[in-house]
Amino acid sequence: MSESLFAWLLIAPAIVFIGFIVAWPLVETIRLSFTDADLGGENWIGWANYAELFSDPKFYDIVWRTFYWMFLSVILKLVMGLIGASLLNAAVPGKALFRVLVMPPWVIPIAIGVIGWKWLYNGYFGLISGVLQNLGLVEDRVALLATKTSAFYSAVVTDVWVGTPMVTLFFLAAMQGVSRDLYEAAWVDGAGRWYRFRRITIPQIMPVIVSMALLSAIWTFNSFEIIWILTEGGPRGATTTLIIDTYKVAISSQRFGEGAARAVVIVILLAIFSLFYLFFLNKVNKRYGAK
Amino acid sequence: MATLDLSHITKSFGTAQVLRDIDLAIKDKEFVVFVGPSGCGKSTLLRIVAGLEEATSGKIFIDGRDVSREPPVQRGIAMVFQSYALYPHLTVYENIAFPLRVQRLAEAEVRQKVTKAADILQLTDKLDLKPGQLSGGQRQRVAIGRSIVRNPKVFLFDEPLSNLDAALRGDMRVELSQLHGSLNATMIYVTHDQVEAMTMADRIVVLNAGKVEQFGTPMELYHHPATKFVAGFIGQPNMNLIPSTVKGTGSDGLTVELSGGHVMTIPVETKGVSAGAKVEVGIRPENVELGRGMDVKINVLERLGGVSITYGTLAGTRFCASLPGDAAIREGETIGLTMNPRDAHVFDAAGKVLRRTMAPALVA
Repeated sequence: MSESLFAWLLIAPAIVFIGFIVAWPLVETIRLSFTDADLGGENWIGWANYAELFSDPKFYDIVWRTFYWMFLSVILKLVMGLIGASLLNAAVPGKALFRVLVMPPWVIPIAIGVIGWKWLYNGYFGLISGVLQNLGLVEDRVALLATKTSAFYSAVVTDVWVGTPMVTLFFLAAMQGVSRDLYEAAWVDGAGRWYRFRRITIPQIMPVIVSMALLSAIWTFNSFEIIWILTEGGPRGATTTLIIDTYKVAISSQRFGEGAARAVVIVILLAIFSLFYLFFLNKVNKRYGAK
Repeated sequence: MATLDLSHITKSFGTAQVLRDIDLAIKDKEFVVFVGPSGCGKSTLLRIVAGLEEATSGKIFIDGRDVSREPPVQRGIAMVFQSYALYPHLTVYENIAFPLRVQRLAEAEVRQKVTKAADILQLTDKLDLKPGQLSGGQRQRVAIGRSIVRNPKVFLFDEPLSNLDAALRGDMRVELSQLHGSLNATMIYVTHDQVEAMTMADRIVVLNAGKVEQFGTPMELYHHPATKFVAGFIGQPNMNLIPSTVKGTGSDGLTVELSGGHVMTIPVETKGVSAGAKVEVGIRPENVELGRGMDVKINVLERLGGVSITYGTLAGTRFCASLPGDAAIREGETIGLTMNPRDAHVFDAAGKVLRRTMAPALVA
């Protein structure tokens, strides 16, 4: 058996596997996007789905909202993660306990956590509304998920709550990998806490920050269950991101062809975003000396 | 002027006492080496001087000023770490400039100081590189550069050469000694390597189990080790310690019978010992020669060219000898060794030395 044939044999299972779970569904989605497929069958209609999509002003709103949702949520997760990791990394008594206490949002099933948040946000029996009223800060009950703006930011808060623990733990792991000598050397030279954080911690964990930002961005972009459980994309589309819109069209309305066109747009947008990001990551790694 | 005085320093981690009542007076411009086996507390002592660790009790004075409660930067010290502690994301220039940036000096001043340090350390053409692109010796120099620019009163070195290979270590030893000469600063240097200690130090502090065993010049430690520990630690190969019995005392010294039966009279002060006492006689490998006297069985023979080192036993006790390179001896045979009793050391049961009365005069 030739060496190259043997090599192909070794990677064949992986190729078959990827073919089934990635390549074939992707090709099939692209094909569907050029049809008017629904429960009644499908006809080839060329670019009609895309033409309709790009001529609909509401679609641009959704794209814009999706990116806004993504950037806002990711930035909050990164900032909270950095703060949390720094606190957990500090030499305080009982830090092992705190490290465990960070975990629940990540560990408990998302659906259960989000339903908890839905209760908090509820205008009739929600904790937030109740506390605000009892403190006299608001006159009437506040149903946070009922108005467009508050529903959007409430969804962001919940998404940040779910996403922060993982970011925190990754940052913590990266911080613990920074040599103690670097801090001591800086301390001997007179660098204060903030100076050390800015000029040692941040640059040292920069590759991890950038990687986490990319992963978190993709997950947030495609975050489905949090929004769906909270608001199903409402009120009046205020929390409808691309993924929610795609689901509504393809699954709820069973217009598979139109849904597939949206899915293809998501893939292209994320691919462009990721390419740009990997380029950026490469630069960061060069600059900050990651291997 | 930069003297360093340590007064009754102790340090405990929980119940473990790491340093016990350390008292040292280090003179201005002195190069002092803290040496001892791992775990003896030498690095902890250095970190206490640096302010990275707080002493459990005791005081530290730099130039007569009590700095025990001051943060490192106010003590006027600079420290070079064993790991070099260079910032991997910064260039050599920025690494050296780091302490100056902390002080928010003007760019022109920073440039002038960094350039000068780079010049002294031959790093001028490396300033734009990252630490990852440098060799071990160059990284070491960058770490030293970072300590120089602050113009400290006292330099602290924590095993700075232990990550280098043997050849480079030799070169850097010479460079550091030259640097000490040109900077005219007080330097404290921690190492577990007695060769580094002997070659570089003006004075050596030998630490063992958190205590100062002896503080003196290299030749003092070599010729007048205060304890068995110092005797065994200083000198290469290590001193042989032969269990012996005192036969008698007299004006010419102590007459002892070494295990194996060889009897000799060693010129040492005999106060406090009497016939029948158990002592140990210390014999340096380089002080013996072939002849009638002690019967030593050679197990391993190392011919280094100029000298032949033999590892063997004298009546069951390990015995090492350094003999001429061409000595007609073979592994496995038993040879006779003799020595001038004036070169021998005697340690009492507590490990304390009996002072030699006819030791050679110390060279400066």
